[in-house]
Amino acid sequence: MGIYAEPRFLPCGDLALSVELGDDINREVNARVLALEYLIQQKALGGVTETLPSYRSLLVYYDPFTVGWDELTKSLRALCREARPEVLPPARTVEIPCCYGEDLGFELAAAAKKIGLPPDDVARLHASTDYYVYFVGFTPGLPYMTGMPDRLEIPRLDQPRTKTPPGSVAIGGIQCCIYSVESPGGFWVLGRTPLRLYDPSAADPILLRAGDHVRFRMISRAEYDTIAGAVAEGTYTPRMERA
Amino acid sequence: MPSVLIHDAGPQTTVQDLGRRGSLRVGIPPSGPMDREAFLLANRLVGNADDAAGLECTLIGPRIEFADERWVAVTGADMPVTLNGAAMPRWAAFEVEAGEVLRLGPAASGVRGYLAVSGGIDTPPALGSRATYLRGQLGGLEGRALRKGDCLPLGPASGGAPAEVHEEIIPDYTVEPTVRVVLGPQDDRFTKRGIAALFDAPYEMTSQSDRMGARLRGERIEHTRGHDIISDGVALGGIQVVGDGQPIVLLADRQSTGGYTKIGTVCSFDIGRVAQVKPGQRLRFRRVTVAEAHEFLRAYRRELDDAIPFPSA
Repeated sequence: MGIYAEPRFLPCGDLALSVELGDDINREVNARVLALEYLIQQKALGGVTETLPSYRSLLVYYDPFTVGWDELTKSLRALCREARPEVLPPARTVEIPCCYGEDLGFELAAAAKKIGLPPDDVARLHASTDYYVYFVGFTPGLPYMTGMPDRLEIPRLDQPRTKTPPGSVAIGGIQCCIYSVESPGGFWVLGRTPLRLYDPSAADPILLRAGDHVRFRMISRAEYDTIAGAVAEGTYTPRMERA
Repeated sequence: MPSVLIHDAGPQTTVQDLGRRGSLRVGIPPSGPMDREAFLLANRLVGNADDAAGLECTLIGPRIEFADERWVAVTGADMPVTLNGAAMPRWAAFEVEAGEVLRLGPAASGVRGYLAVSGGIDTPPALGSRATYLRGQLGGLEGRALRKGDCLPLGPASGGAPAEVHEEIIPDYTVEPTVRVVLGPQDDRFTKRGIAALFDAPYEMTSQSDRMGARLRGERIEHTRGHDIISDGVALGGIQVVGDGQPIVLLADRQSTGGYTKIGTVCSFDIGRVAQVKPGQRLRFRRVTVAEAHEFLRAYRRELDDAIPFPSA
């Protein structure tokens, strides 16, 4: 378990390969994936055209006319040795206001029942810790996060929903996510944030990034509406700090 | 401003260029044309740069009116082309005058037709590209498919000498294509029989296919120990095999990551062939190594560059 002694290079067609650094979901492995990606960017590694981090691997697109498989894997192997969390720039902590329950967190009551706690306690517990963003993806801007109190671990929905509203804050297993666009979903929706995780009309449409920390702030239904209005007018600046 | 007016958009006509780069890491796919080769040749035919924006039409083409004089070219799916009612050639540039109406009919073969206009379509780029990403409402015209009454701005016409494609490279979309596949990244999660199934039998395109993925049906592809993996990045052409043992080839608008095993990846130069297979038609997979794939890629690029005598301008 954990980090492999040597990275695995897995072919993904003629233009990409996957660098797999470990075999489970843990922050140490993921931090190395992010560090590898960061080093590739910093050193502007020749022939690499695009990268995509996930839990334990980095998808690397390359131009085979600039760099061959052997040369590329050799450079990547060397970078993997340097790819330690310390090389990464300081992480950001992003505050996500969240209205729990009400009409927005439409599965809070059912989830609370399954967990065996009052809904208010589930909401308070959920907002009591920091979450770590392993990567952003599947749909634009959707963060894959852990950091939830153990008490809130819950199996996914038996029947996934066909539609989940964007901004829905939801939990499943030991994970928490925020749906970024309307999409199907198998996590329990506890609340909703008025922030846009993906805003196609913005210059930078994506709010969260791999390696970020997320802190939920409990807000009322009224405050939700106020912030949603400010977001729509483009006058709301999400709170962020660097570690 | 020079423009084209959409009289009738067809079922799904979108603005595309070669796609956006660098946004996969936040979950935004590159988008771009499903059949890159046909798209690129259309641009070259009218003297545009390869990355100029044009239209991708699905199954039935649009009816559009031009506000000024342009060179246009139609490639890809076999959609009959008329200009003010008169039949026009495909895979060759021709001139249209202000006020003339161009129509692309229903595809006799193939799925996706491409229309390039000299000067290119000049909608505002989003994240560095004019490509439409429908699910993300990004790029193109307001991030959506075109509608009747839309007006698309055009860039200044470059005035390059228009060309035609050598006949021998015009594809025949009625034949069953064989597309080349590199095994991996999770081929170790399939039985020998499962891998053999992928390459031995043809697979049929289903009607559930779209710009995100081609859902195929055929011989069951057997896993060794389940179809779930820790979610990882999905490359263009990745062949995901879900619980029912059926393959899905992931295309231009694919999700960026996924938790299903990927037995192999269709090579970039054959993606266009997948994109032109109609529901009910079949295709075959052929196994190649990474080194072979790079040789084929080299040959493919040479063929593309030889296909059109480059515009002299």
